[in-house]
Amino acid sequence: MDTERQVESEGSVATRLDDVWVTIVWNDPVNLMSYVTHVFQSYFGLSREDATARMREVHEHGRSVVSTGPRERMEVDVQAMHGFGLWATLQRSGE
Amino acid sequence: MRGFRAEGNAAIAVLDDEERLVVARIVADVALLLGADAFGEDFGSPSEVTPEIDDPFEYLRGLEESIREPSDPAILRLLPNAAPTDREVADEFRRLTDAELRGTKVRRLRRMWDQLSGGSHGADSDEWVVPADEALATAAALTDVRLVLASRLGLVTDDDAERLHAEIDLATHALETDDDGALPVDHERVWLGMLYQALTWLQETLVEYVSGASEETDV
Repeated sequence: MDTERQVESEGSVATRLDDVWVTIVWNDPVNLMSYVTHVFQSYFGLSREDATARMREVHEHGRSVVSTGPRERMEVDVQAMHGFGLWATLQRSGE
Repeated sequence: MRGFRAEGNAAIAVLDDEERLVVARIVADVALLLGADAFGEDFGSPSEVTPEIDDPFEYLRGLEESIREPSDPAILRLLPNAAPTDREVADEFRRLTDAELRGTKVRRLRRMWDQLSGGSHGADSDEWVVPADEALATAAALTDVRLVLASRLGLVTDDDAERLHAEIDLATHALETDDDGALPVDHERVWLGMLYQALTWLQETLVEYVSGASEETDV
């Protein structure tokens, strides 16, 4: 998987044209930081460092964009996150 | 109770009979919420065949209809709205994924229930054995159980979780000092809260095991 594309920040994606969607993971009081980090590592193929940064963003800012791409692809990612018990949503980029 | 530790090609925790019974029961309850049939009636003798779980068509029922958002907040937390600001996207997502997600979650819960009920090893041992290749799936199933408990306990924010811990500490102290007349203790809430804390701790040790194992293979 192209992790560069996956981990682009929301800001840079918002400037793109076409129908680009994002997967957002939201903070919740249940999921353990270690678990969320591991899920990001194993599912998105992130390094431990990058996965931890994503997790911190979720925990401290309430949400993080974890992937970017066509709607169908985001549906797959959101489904995977729900499978792991993470609270994820998808939306058009920039909305 | 002892948390998970690596032993051979598995993670092993130690729970006494009552602890295993309680955890197995809540696991079965969560599966029921997701629409599974009841896991074995007698603890220690799980039914070997569960065609309703292995049969994917079970979960294809109603695929063509739109599937309504669950009204029970606990189930909604297991199968959340994927697009709160876009009804069409949310409905479409639920229609496409609801059956598969329920199936995945029920299968994982069933495996966890089997582990706790002794499975093929017999139910005599105090060990909860999670094979290495099932550790992440078991951690995910533990998340689902904790999500349901958290919903019942009204944990919505990080502060709610902190308050619950403080509440339990107070209640435990009151009970230990035989002072529970002094403040009102909601015994059911405290009991559920303590179960939630125990599962949190068990999951923490299991995730530690999973992360450690993946570090080793990362080289």
